[in-house]
Amino acid sequence: MLKILLAIVVGLVGAVLLHLIIILSLPHFTGLDAYTRILARGDLNRFHLLSAKPDKAGLSVADPFMHVAVCSFDVDAVPLRLQARGSVPFWSLAIFDSASNEIFSMNDRTSVGGGLDVVIATPIQLTALRKALPEQLAQSILVEVPRPDGYAVVRTLAPRRSFDQAAQAFLQEASCQDFTGR
Amino acid sequence: MFRVPLLIALALSIAFGGGIVSTLYALNVTTGFGAIRLGAWEAFPNAQTAAADPYAKSHRARAGNLLYGNAEGLAFSASVDDAGGRLVSGCSYAVSGQTPHARLWTLYAGNTGGQPFAVNPALPAGLNSWTVVRETDSSFTVTVSARAQPGNWLPLPTGNVSFRLTLTLLDTPTAGSSGLIDLSMPKVSLLGCGDA
Repeated sequence: MLKILLAIVVGLVGAVLLHLIIILSLPHFTGLDAYTRILARGDLNRFHLLSAKPDKAGLSVADPFMHVAVCSFDVDAVPLRLQARGSVPFWSLAIFDSASNEIFSMNDRTSVGGGLDVVIATPIQLTALRKALPEQLAQSILVEVPRPDGYAVVRTLAPRRSFDQAAQAFLQEASCQDFTGR
Repeated sequence: MFRVPLLIALALSIAFGGGIVSTLYALNVTTGFGAIRLGAWEAFPNAQTAAADPYAKSHRARAGNLLYGNAEGLAFSASVDDAGGRLVSGCSYAVSGQTPHARLWTLYAGNTGGQPFAVNPALPAGLNSWTVVRETDSSFTVTVSARAQPGNWLPLPTGNVSFRLTLTLLDTPTAGSSGLIDLSMPKVSLLGCGDA
């Protein structure tokens, strides 16, 4: 009887251990996280517009008034510049690392002149950029990323149907390109 | 003579069965710790950050949703009414009051996973701060029902399925605020069930 009790206690301790191991290790191998799903969309350095219907990787826009575009990047070699301009009632940007932790976020009220102009760079690249800031980056917001890979999400809101076209155009014309200094 | 293998099998089955079932339960039932609860509404302002707890990180790695950044907004969801009853599409509900300070907000109904219902495209898919009709004191009342309603109407699918309301505040100080207790969210009250 005592041995059965001991077996149950050992089993429960094992269950707790297993629970902790699964919870702590799950984020590294689900294959369902946002970064993996965005990578499955294809090219880096290009904004992919999401629709209300889930794509192959399962990404969709749940909110009926939101328009969303995502761009995955790797700034290991060169910095990345995000740009977008247009007349929309609201836009916002969030930059995440490959573990989907937020690094930086902003919206149109916190931008310079209402347009989106952000440079994403590693600490070393940023030091080099700041030493001799190129003319065209005078108005840009410089964001330092601790790890070179991640993704950016740009959202716009179309409160009425008549804004849909402007919101789509804003996202379609948004660029997510390597910044080589020219 | 099979006592020892039997005991080992018992311990192992409890360990693996209990471990796996408890993990799945924990991940399905909640998004993690650190929720703000205001009446029926709950939100997770830190779920997208590196400071999120391990449960929140596991949950978001499995769900794969694009979460709102701090400066973007904060999404509140409600799957129960203020009295604690589960929201079902066979009943009608009133969402009334004010939202916390935000530049814009959107409200829509979706399934328990948060995906919006495929309603008739001629019907409103949701409401937002620009389209909602307000009282003179700028408060609003939205009737959530499967049957057409006067005023602000948020359609539900027919039948008797569970649903979830999502209220997203955009560009809101709520996301970064620590004085969250004073915030008032709209009340979610049951109006009646069936044809009543």
